[in-house]
Amino acid sequence: MFEAIRRAGARVLGIGEGSLAVPVFDGAYTPNNILEEAPVLFEHSGLEDLAIAADGTLFAACGPEILQIDPDGRPSTIAKFDAPVQALALLADGGMAVAVGGRILFEGGAEHGKQLATFEGQALRGVNALSSGTDGKLMIGEGSMRRPYPQWSHDLLEHGHTGRVLEYDPSHASTRVLASGLQYCFGVCATGGKIFASESWAHRIVELGDMGSKTGSTTMLDALPGYPARLGHSVDGGYWLSLFAGRTQLLEFILREDDFRKEMMRTVPPNYWFAPSLLSGRDYLEPQQTAGVMQMGIMKPWAPPRSYGLVVRLDNKLQPLYSLHSRAGGRHHGVVAAVESADHLFVLSKGAGRILRVPLAQLDSGLNRRSSPS
Amino acid sequence: MVPILFLLTTIVFFSYNIDNFISVSNFIDTIRQAGELGFVVLAMALVLMAGGIDLSVGSMFALCTLCALFFTQLLKWPVAASIVATLVFGGLLGSVNGILIGYFRLRAFLTTLITLIIYRSVFDMLTLAYAVNIATATAESPTWDWIGSGEVLRLPVQGWVFAAVAVFGHIFITRARTGWHISAIGGSRRAAYNAGINVRWVIALTYIASGVLTACGSIFFAARLANAGADTGRGMEVTILTAAVLGGIRLGGGRGSVTKAVLGLLIVILITDGLLRMAVPGGPSRVVLGCILLLAAIIDIRWFKNRGKLIQEVYVSPTYLQLPPAPSTAADSGTAYAVNDRLRDVYSIGVGQVESPEDVILDNNDDLYCGSRHGDILRFFAPDYKEMEVYAHIGGQTLGMAFDAENNLCVCVGGMGLYRVTPQRKVEKLTDETNRSLYSVIDDSRLRLADDLDIAPDGRIFFSEATIRYEMHDWHTDALEGRGSGRIICYDPRTRHTHTVVSNLIFANGVCVESGGQSILFAETWGCTIKRYWFEGPKTGQVEVVIANLPGHPDNINRASDGNYWCGLIGMRSPVFDLVMRKPGFRTRMVKQLPEDEWFSPNLNTGCVIKFNASGEVLESLWDLHGVNHPMITSMREHRGYLFLGGLSNNRIGRHKLEGADPDFMQYKTSRTGTRHV
Repeated sequence: MFEAIRRAGARVLGIGEGSLAVPVFDGAYTPNNILEEAPVLFEHSGLEDLAIAADGTLFAACGPEILQIDPDGRPSTIAKFDAPVQALALLADGGMAVAVGGRILFEGGAEHGKQLATFEGQALRGVNALSSGTDGKLMIGEGSMRRPYPQWSHDLLEHGHTGRVLEYDPSHASTRVLASGLQYCFGVCATGGKIFASESWAHRIVELGDMGSKTGSTTMLDALPGYPARLGHSVDGGYWLSLFAGRTQLLEFILREDDFRKEMMRTVPPNYWFAPSLLSGRDYLEPQQTAGVMQMGIMKPWAPPRSYGLVVRLDNKLQPLYSLHSRAGGRHHGVVAAVESADHLFVLSKGAGRILRVPLAQLDSGLNRRSSPS
Repeated sequence: MVPILFLLTTIVFFSYNIDNFISVSNFIDTIRQAGELGFVVLAMALVLMAGGIDLSVGSMFALCTLCALFFTQLLKWPVAASIVATLVFGGLLGSVNGILIGYFRLRAFLTTLITLIIYRSVFDMLTLAYAVNIATATAESPTWDWIGSGEVLRLPVQGWVFAAVAVFGHIFITRARTGWHISAIGGSRRAAYNAGINVRWVIALTYIASGVLTACGSIFFAARLANAGADTGRGMEVTILTAAVLGGIRLGGGRGSVTKAVLGLLIVILITDGLLRMAVPGGPSRVVLGCILLLAAIIDIRWFKNRGKLIQEVYVSPTYLQLPPAPSTAADSGTAYAVNDRLRDVYSIGVGQVESPEDVILDNNDDLYCGSRHGDILRFFAPDYKEMEVYAHIGGQTLGMAFDAENNLCVCVGGMGLYRVTPQRKVEKLTDETNRSLYSVIDDSRLRLADDLDIAPDGRIFFSEATIRYEMHDWHTDALEGRGSGRIICYDPRTRHTHTVVSNLIFANGVCVESGGQSILFAETWGCTIKRYWFEGPKTGQVEVVIANLPGHPDNINRASDGNYWCGLIGMRSPVFDLVMRKPGFRTRMVKQLPEDEWFSPNLNTGCVIKFNASGEVLESLWDLHGVNHPMITSMREHRGYLFLGGLSNNRIGRHKLEGADPDFMQYKTSRTGTRHV
């Protein structure tokens, strides 16, 4: 009962969990225009995920195909499927795992031809991230058990909390649940026995409890200014976290307004909902906020973002070091994947349908010493 | 509100604790006291409203009582003469304060504290000399007795006279010029001085009025008791101040009303009376009053300090607005609204030279005029519009523009009203107020946001006021209300009379006189409609709908060369915003809980121009789909085969070549001489 009173009090006073405040772009999240101005390596609608081999070969999931992208941006098709690819991971043995149409397929390598079609009798339609774990195992991030991957905004507006992390062992063809009940899992990353997962709707990165045991997960990084997507390794032991949209106070408010939210979901087409988006400003039927009104021909970059482009560099303890931005009114929004090669960071902007190539030298020289926004 | 609750609480409290607290005799007694004290409370209210304070009311009251008794009972003057003499005496006492504070600008608190002491000493000396004489003498005048204890219609004389003075005071404060000046000085002395108010005289006047009103109360007191005891009026200033502050009259000045004074008075009288009847001695009773005064003063100060914040949170007052589903604008919809990119290749004028050209207009030399947010009217010179000059400085954001028959450029200026610029570039105010609505509680006579205008054949100017609730800088917040706060107003230059012809419009915007010369078309921006108002002919006074359901928010309307009309849509409706407008509670919570930047806004980033005919059919639309040059289109003016585009939040004017348009068409036939002052 005290808990209920405390919650009601927090809500009335607007403090703690009752607060509608969202973290500001400050500190390690200080804005810049690096992503917005980054050179484009490859452009195609339907780009979804990136993976990079140890030798620096870049692979991209694009629509129903897996492409290999040359350093000069020329694509060559490696594999083609009957449905759009939702996630891609390279395995230690040289093969790759692909989430497509509710199944997980293995291409090339020792496990070629194997597939995980169902788990506990259900197709895995919500899978949005794959990554290789220890001993050839595969980590599977499933955003939502209730909504297929393209309907992620439904899951957000329904307060979805059915995200899972699964582990598939191809040698025994067995699958087990490492974590469930996550508020939209998007991105899994295993490092030396530890498994980290991003929880988009909770704006945080958690470390899952001990392998197999059902102990609770630990929050490693929270109060993110956006919705975290995939999490990948950096070369020197840190991580690259992509965030696919920025948070707004209005959305936090709408998540409380049940009546409005339900009517909006019932009567308005999903692409015109007030919800985070991978891309915005291209359609005049989208909802708008006061600060988003163009003044003297430009949209102010500090306007509450309907869509945003953000990649954050985390250290090996998952604390943020610096970040790369494409701000409100920009184009390189909806970043869902970032992988690092020897001298470049490849960033996938799903909103723009582009792969960006950011020279690492630029980041090391500029951002590590806390640059001001350009 | 709070004083009323307090009054009810007081009544309930004493009714519960004292038998027979509410009774007829008690009621009459209360009114008798209220009459006498009431004059003094009014006096204090007047002084407080002008930002001063009058602590000497108690001593003045005592002196005036003595004075009245002296004239009537000792000198046996006629009653009327004594009354006049007493009032004059009160005025003189007050004028001492008035001159010292108003003209010599001494501190009100210290000055009246000193006069309090001086007047009290004088009173003490005089009572020593005359008390016995007065006490033994009698007035022997039935009129005098009647003033003290008479009744009219079973209610005491004091009550009637006080009611009359209170009604007069109310009218004086709310309607008379001097009354407004008093509030203005209390609100901001410096601003009042800058506005040309004779601050010193008005302040002096409040103290003189205070003296006269106090004398008024003392006359009734003298007539009732026929004696001036040594403690007459002692401590009265505390009682009176308590009453004024409890009623809600601000200690710092600027706010107050007769109603508040009367409310406060009733509370205080009930409390003192109640305490007396509960057998609380005078000392503790005064302590209670003092504590209440202290509490009220604290609340008064805290409230005033945080009032702005509170009002900011609760000012926006959303209402339910249901619009029919918007017509489709999709490229393949086959409607006249189908999106296209015809405005993509406009010729841009004034990029970097002009900001916020809401409306544009051209004269017979093809020179182009537009408003700007810096308060200027700019003129760009034909043929290439690269050269420009400041044509006139008006001082506010210029919105709609039109030429009249004498070549004057008539303009609506946000926050200022209807102005005109003569061909000699003289800026003249035409009007900045209209008639006050009959049933409106707030005074809506001043023009807050005059928006667009057009001129009838007989010279009458019809113009729109977008909203009476918002200023120029937050005009778009009005969209969140969806309330009929706009109106169409007519200014007649022959009589210089302004009156409202249509009200309750949901953001009244573009105005255009139709070719018949008997009607105007006007747009309701948030209502997404275009309507017609007949100002002449058989349908005079009627309003009819021309276009019932636009897919966007209409702004200015102007004539096209082919007899049709152009209308700019500042932005297109979005399905979510339409839903938001059907949820007033949702919007109320939104504006309370979120900062303004985060609020939902109507789409103002993609607009278009439509052409429609007099029967409301939309014929075609012109879009700048990617919003590179003209994200928001607030106006367009056809001139000699071109369409000129303006935008309130834009930094350029566009010129678009119209295929097949009359190359000689001008909306206003002007004959202006091209005097350049570059």
